[in-house]
Amino acid sequence: MSTTETTQAQVHVEHGAAPPPRHWALRGGLARAVWMTPLFFLIGMGIVVGLRALAGWHPYLDWEVVIVVGGLTVAPIGFLAGVGTFDYWTRYALGFPTRPEDHSSHGAYSWKDYFRVNTDHKVIGIQYVTTTIFFFLAGGLMAMLVRAELARPETDFYDTQTYNQLFSVHASLMIFLFVIPAFAGLANFVVPLMLGAPDMAFPRLNALSYWLLPIAGTMMLVSFFFPGFGAGWTNYAPLSVAQPFGNVFFSMAVQWAGASSIMTALNFLVTIITMRAPGMTFWRMPLLVWANFTTSLLVVIATPFIAGSQFFVMFDKVMHTNFFNVTEHGYVLGYQHIFWFYSHPAVYIMMLPGFGIASEVISTFSRKPIFGYRLMALSLMAILVLGFSVWAHHMFVSGMAPYLRVPMMVTTLLIAVPTGIKVFSWLATLWEGRIHFGAPMLWALGFVSMFVIGGLSGIMLGAVPIDIHVSDTYFIVAHIHYVLLGGSLFTIFAGIYYWFPKMTGRMYNEPLAKLHFWLTLVAFNATFFPMHIIGVQGMPRRVATYEDRFGDWNLFISISSFVLGASFMIFVYNMIVSWRSGPPAPANPWRGMTIEWLVSSPPPVFNFDAVPQVVGNPYEYGVPGARHAILNGDRAAVTELEPVR
Amino acid sequence: MALVSIALVVAAATTAIAYFVDWLPEQASEERRGMDLVFWVTVGICIFVFSIVASVSIYSGIKFRVRPDDDSDGPPIHGHTGIEILWTAVPTTLVTIIAVLSAIVLAQNDRTKGDVLRVDVRAQQFAWEFSYPAQGNIKSAFLYLPVGRSTKLYMRSEHIDKTPDVIHSFWVPEFGQKQDVVPGEVTTLVITPTRVGEYRVICMELCGLGHALMRSRAIVLSEQDFAAWVRKQRQAAGGPPGEQGKTLFTSNGCNSCHTLTAAGATGKVGPNLDKLDEESIPGGKSLDEYVRESIQNPSAYRRPGYSAQMPRFNLSKDQVDALVTFIVESAKKN
Repeated sequence: MSTTETTQAQVHVEHGAAPPPRHWALRGGLARAVWMTPLFFLIGMGIVVGLRALAGWHPYLDWEVVIVVGGLTVAPIGFLAGVGTFDYWTRYALGFPTRPEDHSSHGAYSWKDYFRVNTDHKVIGIQYVTTTIFFFLAGGLMAMLVRAELARPETDFYDTQTYNQLFSVHASLMIFLFVIPAFAGLANFVVPLMLGAPDMAFPRLNALSYWLLPIAGTMMLVSFFFPGFGAGWTNYAPLSVAQPFGNVFFSMAVQWAGASSIMTALNFLVTIITMRAPGMTFWRMPLLVWANFTTSLLVVIATPFIAGSQFFVMFDKVMHTNFFNVTEHGYVLGYQHIFWFYSHPAVYIMMLPGFGIASEVISTFSRKPIFGYRLMALSLMAILVLGFSVWAHHMFVSGMAPYLRVPMMVTTLLIAVPTGIKVFSWLATLWEGRIHFGAPMLWALGFVSMFVIGGLSGIMLGAVPIDIHVSDTYFIVAHIHYVLLGGSLFTIFAGIYYWFPKMTGRMYNEPLAKLHFWLTLVAFNATFFPMHIIGVQGMPRRVATYEDRFGDWNLFISISSFVLGASFMIFVYNMIVSWRSGPPAPANPWRGMTIEWLVSSPPPVFNFDAVPQVVGNPYEYGVPGARHAILNGDRAAVTELEPVR
Repeated sequence: MALVSIALVVAAATTAIAYFVDWLPEQASEERRGMDLVFWVTVGICIFVFSIVASVSIYSGIKFRVRPDDDSDGPPIHGHTGIEILWTAVPTTLVTIIAVLSAIVLAQNDRTKGDVLRVDVRAQQFAWEFSYPAQGNIKSAFLYLPVGRSTKLYMRSEHIDKTPDVIHSFWVPEFGQKQDVVPGEVTTLVITPTRVGEYRVICMELCGLGHALMRSRAIVLSEQDFAAWVRKQRQAAGGPPGEQGKTLFTSNGCNSCHTLTAAGATGKVGPNLDKLDEESIPGGKSLDEYVRESIQNPSAYRRPGYSAQMPRFNLSKDQVDALVTFIVESAKKN
């Protein structure tokens, strides 16, 4: 063992005395959460009842207020305290002895470790990905239920409120509990490894951001039992204010999911800025890191706006404020401006990390350097900046000031230029490569082709006269699914298959992964391409009944969507079986150059025995003798390095 | 060479999809003419870009594919400034073309020409009401328009008593013009119909449980027919109660939520008025009293399976009489 390794290992020796063992119900964990969550609910309820009694407001026990304060605000804090996300900070704040170098909550040694507060970025990454896949399946099931209703023109299965809630919750789960956090999860696992860092900058904050997700997801699912979130995921006021009480579940779920996003984004920014290995200049960072850097900037700047918009709706509902009440000088369009000032950048929050994944996969599987690396990074920054100047293209028909339309159209169309640069650069990376069609590559190329269709329909929507004709039709539904399903989801699958060996230490079943890809690709196009046609012809979105003449197309779409839904079962089966009993994965199954491939699969608990030295660019395929990083001094290609367990 | 052939095949295939699929609905306004122009120019540009991307992917996938055991790397090409400038400049040019064309069409479509017909549009959950201030303020549940004349719609989202409603959106696919109707604002829309016929008016913004049924019709007439229609409407205001009741039934949008065969109404949000009968009425009231009370105070009775969402209507006593007579007589015929 070299001297550097010994020094590094010493850093992680535990300091201070271990705290005395506590009863299982008092230790941080799900058991403690089970009693602390209701306790905090009762505390919240006590505050409401107490204050109302003091003020003499009848009834003292107003269940709607109790649910907002106790159920949606205080009880989640109880849950977080119960599982133990605040333990360290509480001890520190109260003056109890703390152990700054306490790594007892680091690493996962059995499946149970995934169900407790863990500060290891790799465990948190896996927690994120599995949790988001759970919500993906829940949201997908709702899509199936929506398509079942739409198979025939008349109303068949549900009352209208239930139907409206189905598509609203479907979209919210997919956006806030799947695409955004799934990317955060993959990046959580990969980014510190790629940077040569032992962990994220703030591991405890990282754990807290993860544990906010189940809260947000549960709230959105539970909203079914408190009807009211049936105004679409956009939750436009004043309809949202006029919805039944359950609408507050969405308003609050967005707060918890948004808080999670913001904390993670801050964590990424600090990690990327301060924890790069020696030699890792910004121009040597892999594009995935660049992508998450720009995404995190988008998240911290934009997310507070949707938080604000949903607070306004909830205040109007619960506290009878008048943000959107016209009779009291409220401003209805204000909601849309604030909402889209987040929700358009959110499109890029859901897209840029996927661009990063595609760059990694396409370069590695083409065995060629990424074409135009610097322009690729700069175009991410261009999208970041332009992304904040296009929000009102969602409002061309909204009745906003007409003069805003042309400038917003120009910026919208211009954003196609950096996006186009990325697509063309991926194609140029393929050119003259040595292309291997592994499953990650299939998903990445599937992403490029599907995303191009989504991008081109986006250009059509950017042109105001076309947008006026097709907005709120199925053309929009087709467009966002080409972008978010053909774009984001495909790259998420590319990323999961690409790093599955690194995450689990096992290989997945390649033929099943390819079957999954082809089935999804065909069913996806069969489902969503015809929506362009019926949209242009005049079928509105968000309806349960429609004109008979759209019946045939819709039946075809519904059947295709069921095939699409079934294709994901192959994925779930493959993941479960391979994780349990797949063949052991080598350290570097794809012959990648970035740093995560230099350590074992799965990586050691503290990632690196010694701090890696970055010596070159990340994609130097075909350059004789080129290396991106060196691990452990001269033992550069130590792919057989043993995990430090 | 192979690359070019693939690109041509892709271009031909996508052009065929664009050409043979029945995309746009029938064109019935001058504004749609501009929209269609932008649509097809943009589609052409999209086909051009898609053909390049698809052919390069397909060609690379076939040409540069290697066997799994091939461990060689590709040539270390890091970039090419000339090509990178090219694929920044060409898309910029293409989107500039789209932007300029769109801005011109948009400016044209907002402009009215000649003698403009003003129509006031009132949208509420879940009905449209069109009134013609220069034609004696006649009201109609359908939008009647003369062909070849610019019409400007002034749209409000409110109930008859002026209380604000939620956001709706007015769209006639054949006119290619769409505009949200926003509480607290007056939004406008210009339509110049070019073809006589009957088209669908669709509410495009989710506005509540009856959103899917918030439909009306836009009926484009020749100048003479339109004048005749206006004349008839002005007389009908004082016509027999049955006729007046039927007009009120549709002009107040009862038809969008209730089914009543006599009025040609097929709404399904509220109870079916064809099935009104004396036995189902609580408290031994007459059918007449029951219907009257339900109109004046919609939450007075709740039918099982229906939520209380019918708005109050601001109707004069004569109007309520006419409406009640019409509904009760029509129901008794069933």
